[in-house]
Amino acid sequence: MRHRKEEEPMSGNLTAMIDVVFQLIIFFVVTTNMQQQVDARIKLALAPHGKSINDQAKDPREIKIDVDKDGNIYISKALLPPSLLTSIIKKTVAEYGIDVPIVIRADGESKHSAVQTAMNAITASGIYKIKFAVLKEKGK
Amino acid sequence: MARRSKRTHLVAGELNLTAMIDVAFQLLSFFLMTMKPVDVLALMDVSRPAPDSKAPSKPLNVLTITILPDEKNPFALNDTKISKENLDMMLMKAGELNPDQNVIVACTPKSLHSHLVDALDLCSKAKLTKLSVVSLM
Repeated sequence: MRHRKEEEPMSGNLTAMIDVVFQLIIFFVVTTNMQQQVDARIKLALAPHGKSINDQAKDPREIKIDVDKDGNIYISKALLPPSLLTSIIKKTVAEYGIDVPIVIRADGESKHSAVQTAMNAITASGIYKIKFAVLKEKGK
Repeated sequence: MARRSKRTHLVAGELNLTAMIDVAFQLLSFFLMTMKPVDVLALMDVSRPAPDSKAPSKPLNVLTITILPDEKNPFALNDTKISKENLDMMLMKAGELNPDQNVIVACTPKSLHSHLVDALDLCSKAKLTKLSVVSLM
């Protein structure tokens, strides 16, 4: 008597694996920061003892001035000549007041002359408090 | 004619998950490959001294750190060249004696911004908070 063994398709319970995969995907979707905080062209200098940006209240009026290593000055990625920078800051001060927070994000390799140009534009608007953005801890 | 009864065989519901698992793994691979740890940023508060016609002619009791264009030894404290380690030590002492000590950081046009940040960081480490940045001609 010949026994004919029927071939059955292999099957396994995939529920647990799918659960784990979806958990991982959700984790990455939630934790991925699509928007770069700092322009990739600017490499901030390292200062481990600086006051962490997360500990400070965010002011929506804040102006961020970027200075790249070639000495070019940008606001919101728009290249600006010093005269235009001064007039932008003056206009902002006229609109929002003298206590507008201003952050200079300068490349560590930039010369002080470029940073000085940005600082002069700020002081010309009557603001004497400036913040420098630095890298407290590099992502490993 | 005898009527044949039709029996329906119920089969457990099956769903082909292959495509979904493929997409899920594609997404997982994408996120694993593109994930980059976020840098922690910090802010350093400084003042830019306002031009004051009523400024006292006598120099105030301030520490002056000069940032020189020298790549290897860029620091000078009260016009004396100093290594980074010694500057750190001096600032720590100054911070212990008087945390309200005024510190002026003077930069030359050719000095590197990273050296200015180094000096500000050492001041921050020494709990010195009254920092001013001036630019030399």
